[in-house]
Amino acid sequence: MKRAARGAVVLAAAVVVLGLVDAVLPRLLNTYYLTILARIAVAVLAAVSLQLVNGFTGQFSIGHAGFMAVGAYTGAALSVYTGAPLLAALQQFMPAALARALYFPFPLLAGGIAASFAGLLVGIPALRLRGDYLAIATLGFGEIIRIAILNIDAVGGARGFSLSVQSGVELRYESLGAIAGVVALSVAVIARLVYSAGGLAFRAVREDETAAEAMGIATTRVKSEAFAVASFFAGVAGALFAHAEGYVHTNSFTFVRSFEIMAFVVLGGLGSLTGAALAAAVLTAAPELLRGFGEWRMVLYSLLIITTMLVRPQGLLGSRELSLALLRRALARRAPGP
Amino acid sequence: MALLELAGITVRFGGVVAISRFDLRVDAGALVAMIGPNGAGKTTGFNVITGVCAPTEGSVSFDGERIDGLSAHEVCRRGIARTFQNIRLFRSLTALENVLAAGVGARRDGQADVLRGAGWQRREDADAAAARELLRRLGLERFADARADALPYGEQRRLEIARALATRPRLLLLDEPAAGMNPSEKEALRALIVQLHRDFELSIVLIDHDIPFVMNLCERVSVLDHGEKIAEGPPEQVRRDPRVIEAYLGTDAEPAAARE
Amino acid sequence: MEQFLQQLLNGIAWGSIYALIALGYTMVYGVLKLINFAHGDVYMVGAMSGYYAAHSLGIAAAEPSLAGLFAVLLVSMTACAALGAVIERVAYRPLRTAPRLASLITAIGVSLLLENGGQLLFGADPKFFPPLVNPRELVRIGALAVSNIQLIVFATAMLLMVGLELVVMRTRFGRAMRAVSVDAPAAALMGVPVDRVISGTFVLGSALAAAAGILVGLSNPKIDPLMGLLPGLKAFVAAVLGGIGSIPGAMVGGLLLGVVETFVSAYLSSTYRDAIAFVILIAILLYRPTGLFGTGQVEKV
Repeated sequence: MKRAARGAVVLAAAVVVLGLVDAVLPRLLNTYYLTILARIAVAVLAAVSLQLVNGFTGQFSIGHAGFMAVGAYTGAALSVYTGAPLLAALQQFMPAALARALYFPFPLLAGGIAASFAGLLVGIPALRLRGDYLAIATLGFGEIIRIAILNIDAVGGARGFSLSVQSGVELRYESLGAIAGVVALSVAVIARLVYSAGGLAFRAVREDETAAEAMGIATTRVKSEAFAVASFFAGVAGALFAHAEGYVHTNSFTFVRSFEIMAFVVLGGLGSLTGAALAAAVLTAAPELLRGFGEWRMVLYSLLIITTMLVRPQGLLGSRELSLALLRRALARRAPGP
Repeated sequence: MALLELAGITVRFGGVVAISRFDLRVDAGALVAMIGPNGAGKTTGFNVITGVCAPTEGSVSFDGERIDGLSAHEVCRRGIARTFQNIRLFRSLTALENVLAAGVGARRDGQADVLRGAGWQRREDADAAAARELLRRLGLERFADARADALPYGEQRRLEIARALATRPRLLLLDEPAAGMNPSEKEALRALIVQLHRDFELSIVLIDHDIPFVMNLCERVSVLDHGEKIAEGPPEQVRRDPRVIEAYLGTDAEPAAARE
Repeated sequence: MEQFLQQLLNGIAWGSIYALIALGYTMVYGVLKLINFAHGDVYMVGAMSGYYAAHSLGIAAAEPSLAGLFAVLLVSMTACAALGAVIERVAYRPLRTAPRLASLITAIGVSLLLENGGQLLFGADPKFFPPLVNPRELVRIGALAVSNIQLIVFATAMLLMVGLELVVMRTRFGRAMRAVSVDAPAAALMGVPVDRVISGTFVLGSALAAAAGILVGLSNPKIDPLMGLLPGLKAFVAAVLGGIGSIPGAMVGGLLLGVVETFVSAYLSSTYRDAIAFVILIAILLYRPTGLFGTGQVEKV
């Protein structure tokens, strides 16, 4: 009972904080920074979800952007084709802001579910493969998904797909509080999944598949689960991206994007959720922070990736998680003891 | 009644016959050994029992039901657990996590219960307590939070046994548990096996090269050579068998640490 | 029928370029088990350095000749060989003992660096590769035409591949390379200079990629700093198709992929042209994961 009460308090506090974020940030920062913050949030979710597959289950997937694309387009299509009339109707009864807030979770869920189905569809045959072969297959699937979407006219094909519709309904949803809330909740679910006793199955598969199987762990099932869950959250991230930007194009989901997400995961440290989140945030912000360097900025960005990897081959955090205890220990080591 | 029964098991890899028409019967509560020179097919026998490789011919029954053709995790869930000759711990997990992972794997399928509330946490705590208790019984409690690959060699072997026990097996297969141990460690291991056999009401099959070790421990011994069973019976009888003596000539000259 | 043959010829010419790039992927994978994602960009550097060589040596302005083409090839292959050696030394060798994914990320970093550095150095706009050879029809049967450029592309690629095969099968270096690809630690114990062999493998692979860059410049003169991205990835698919780590596999895989792609865009739809490579990839991975020429390995329990 006490636990439930504490949960309610945490939830209420989170809602208040996010509400404040939503109210205050747009006054402090211009749209440019708000867009970057939203992109960071999306990148964090993409990286953390891929970490489940690459860092915790030890499977090597480099087609994550494909699943983001499925989520982005499913969410966007839902909004354009059914969300817009629905919202128009709802706005007759309630304030537009409330209607939008109530509606917003649905495209995200739809995107996540569609992406997790795609993940299973890809995962079930692909998971027979090991190591590099699995990586290559996921890369191929990611590209096939992208090219297939490029050829669907209902979602704009090569023109891209815009969420601005004429009926006077705003489908774009750039509320940072809501975006941060969705990402935080998703990351929390993934964290609880991997750090529970049940979630040890993922790491057991990573460590030694044969031994895991011999200890009664249904390795194929565990791998499919990791794949489906990771794809689900990639889909949520994609739908989030689509609604925050108000426009999607398959060019945002090429294999280069998949590589980028994998770089977040490895640079942050395989097996560290906070590491992946940190790397995703830093590397998404980096090209913007480097704008002062003009045309050199992307060169510096590439050099940043290379040197980080050379200096810390185990990633920024290794397989540890960033926590208050870890910070305290690090500080204690710095400070001279009494 | 036989707990485990192998009938006419043949395993071929391409043209190589690893085991040929091998029969084995393990009664409930038995403590038996499979011995034989390098490459005799002992580990292949374990692999067939545990579903790691499918027999080319023959059948495996456990508790009266056919288990050949089942995948390894299904075999484990029926109640057969094993250790590996070349230690295969979950290396970067802690000792406690190794035991927990095995317990969870053997009992639960999905991770969906993670989404649940208070009941989940209670279960989580109970699992951890049970795992700690198991570590304590194997004398590993002070290593609970150490990484598995940081444990001393002998402790790693014991942790493998603890991990296998966490799946709550009725039959435990030990693949060269004494390999690489010195005489005093072997003696401690012998005592441990006897104790586990009694306390956990287990049937145990173990593989080893070390004849004296096996002779002091087991009630029955099967001897394999070149994939065929050449002798079976109580240790004293097997030791005098001329075919066994012949198979082992020259093997004794090999270094003790030799592995298959 | 004539159209079919014509497409086949086009496909073979295009495929021999894939094959040349695929060889670099497969050799590096053989010795390092690393998917060198920067390899496609080395091919881009090959085309670019050919462009600059042709202009600065006055070959672009002179009358087209095979000697000019040969000189450009030589310069560009040398430049890329050096580039390959540098990439290996700086970005991969320090990570030899690190987790394998680390060098994969530096490979991606190097790829980004070459692309972005290329845009900075060469400009983002496409350039036009100078016509080093006067296009001419060699043979014409009805509607079927073989151009001298197609012949040069195919012949150069074949010559280089035969040369590579000789190096790998007949020389001490080749033997060392094969030893390293089977078991690098054991090869080191047998006195094979593993570092030099790996370096040499990058040199060879990068030189072949440079040649591919020049050959593509002859047939599709529009070149730009991002040109290596997709062909690089597809050449990698070709290497997997043939069986990654297998040199004949890369050749056959490259040719096959070129032909199939050409047919798909000729007879089905050019929008699916880029997808077909990946569909083949998935099919081959599911039915024969080790590729056409690869050999599987069984894990011992």
